[in-house]
Amino acid sequence: MSAISEKDNLSEIITVNMGPQHPSTHGVLRLVVDLDGETIVGVRPDIGYLHRGVEKLAEHRTYHQFIPLTDRLDYLSPLSNNLAYCLAVEKFFNVKIPERAEYLRVIFAELARIASHLVWVATHALDIGAMTVFLYAFRERELILDMFEIATGQRMTSSWIRVGGIREDVPPLFFEKLREFVSIFEERVDTYERLLTKNRIWLKRTVGVGKLTKEDALDYGVSGPTMRGSGVDFDLRRDEPYGIYDRFKFEVAVQDSCDIYARYLVRVKEMREANKILQQALEQIPEGPVMTDDPRIQIPSHEDVYEKMEALIRRFYIITKGFTAPKGEAYACVEAPKGELGFYIVSDGDTKPYRLKIRAPSFVNLGAIEAMAKGYMIADLVGIIGSIDIVLGEIDR
Amino acid sequence: MTFNDLVAKLTEKFPSKINSYEKFGSKYIVVDRSVAKDLLRSMKYDFGFTYLVDIVAVHWPKRKEKFDVVYNLFSINDKLRVFVKCSIENEKTFTVTDIWKSASFLEREQYDLVGVVFEGHPDLRRILLPEFFEGHPLRKEYPLKGRKWFNNADEQGLGLKFTR
Repeated sequence: MSAISEKDNLSEIITVNMGPQHPSTHGVLRLVVDLDGETIVGVRPDIGYLHRGVEKLAEHRTYHQFIPLTDRLDYLSPLSNNLAYCLAVEKFFNVKIPERAEYLRVIFAELARIASHLVWVATHALDIGAMTVFLYAFRERELILDMFEIATGQRMTSSWIRVGGIREDVPPLFFEKLREFVSIFEERVDTYERLLTKNRIWLKRTVGVGKLTKEDALDYGVSGPTMRGSGVDFDLRRDEPYGIYDRFKFEVAVQDSCDIYARYLVRVKEMREANKILQQALEQIPEGPVMTDDPRIQIPSHEDVYEKMEALIRRFYIITKGFTAPKGEAYACVEAPKGELGFYIVSDGDTKPYRLKIRAPSFVNLGAIEAMAKGYMIADLVGIIGSIDIVLGEIDR
Repeated sequence: MTFNDLVAKLTEKFPSKINSYEKFGSKYIVVDRSVAKDLLRSMKYDFGFTYLVDIVAVHWPKRKEKFDVVYNLFSINDKLRVFVKCSIENEKTFTVTDIWKSASFLEREQYDLVGVVFEGHPDLRRILLPEFFEGHPLRKEYPLKGRKWFNNADEQGLGLKFTR
């Protein structure tokens, strides 16, 4: 029997399974991790446990019927998903959306961003071991979900944005609550920062961990806060403005240190900037209709349906049969809380999409996990998964 | 650089191989298969399209060229989004994993769901569906309904047995 040298013995690589029922994977993510001692030498994500075939379902539903399915992608910010999808469909028609609807869309999207980042800061801190911030962040998230309930009737899967506008106007109570929220939120972010930003344990777990260089970030195509945390100054809201984002003044949060801490700082800054956008939107929002009057895609309002025959016929037709989109392809993307969320729709002139592809930010960001985790300890992997803010509903689709 | 400049420069480089058009607010370059990879490489290294956003494969069963592969590229410096479209006759095409690393996951997904084989991909496996899955669900002939029983799951030695 040949003796095993000490060196060979030390460098033995062990393959460990992590997930899919691991509490820090935020869903059903399975990672196959190659370990040399405690050091990670390879990570292979195994995904698809939540695959529902959304893209196939889209080919068999009319353009309106697909909106509820978009809620189930990134279920922490359903309104951003609705917005991205509706923008893509609207590209086919080149319609003018009423001003009030545009402002409400921005308000919804920014509230969704804050809600999503709050869940992120709460659960990510909980993963790393700071429990207090979880309770504070969920307190504010509750306020946002209450607002969503007032406006849309649903706390989470709201499906409220329609092709051509918003389903219905929001009640006055929504604006009261929103004003109250906007006035207190800046202070509340300070509370989270007091708990984390200078916290020694937090710094030890996050600073210098999970580095992704600027070149790698671009090469792996990561987007959103993960990209901006690596020093890439890019935000779709500023660089390829959709809707009315060109009217708002806000800063794009960029950090150069490329680690988990940088991504944390980016997200905290983004919450503050989202709050500023909400403030500006509240000041500027005009009165008026919330649904376009373009007869190709308009859903007539309930009031019209009860009084006018044409509106009744039109509504019946558009709900049961749907509208036809012209032949061609359209792509629209939004800066969702997780990154660039895009919908690429191919139409062959039917009432249903011929092919629909969802560019899910979490899916692409997950592709960079090996580059981030290599060389760090297994205990850091929990923080690294948390830092890219994945939602499995969006990855698996 | 505007889209027209880009097209002019690319036409100079690849004469009579590319077409361009704009529709529904998106800019497209349709490229012949023979130079598609060179064009994509040139897009990244000469024109600064460092960010590969997405790869989409579309199945057209009735056409002679059965698949469209669309690359969604973004140039962060010029704030320009360009779609490069390449039609292929059978399901085999080249990989771009050696140009952008993000293509690894995106190509695996398209292979899994549409069944386009990206030749040269270092690790072309299914990603969303289980390994024993038969067929590619986003092809047009694949039915929406009709439960499929995975008969070969057991043969692959995965220890799975699906019975009615």
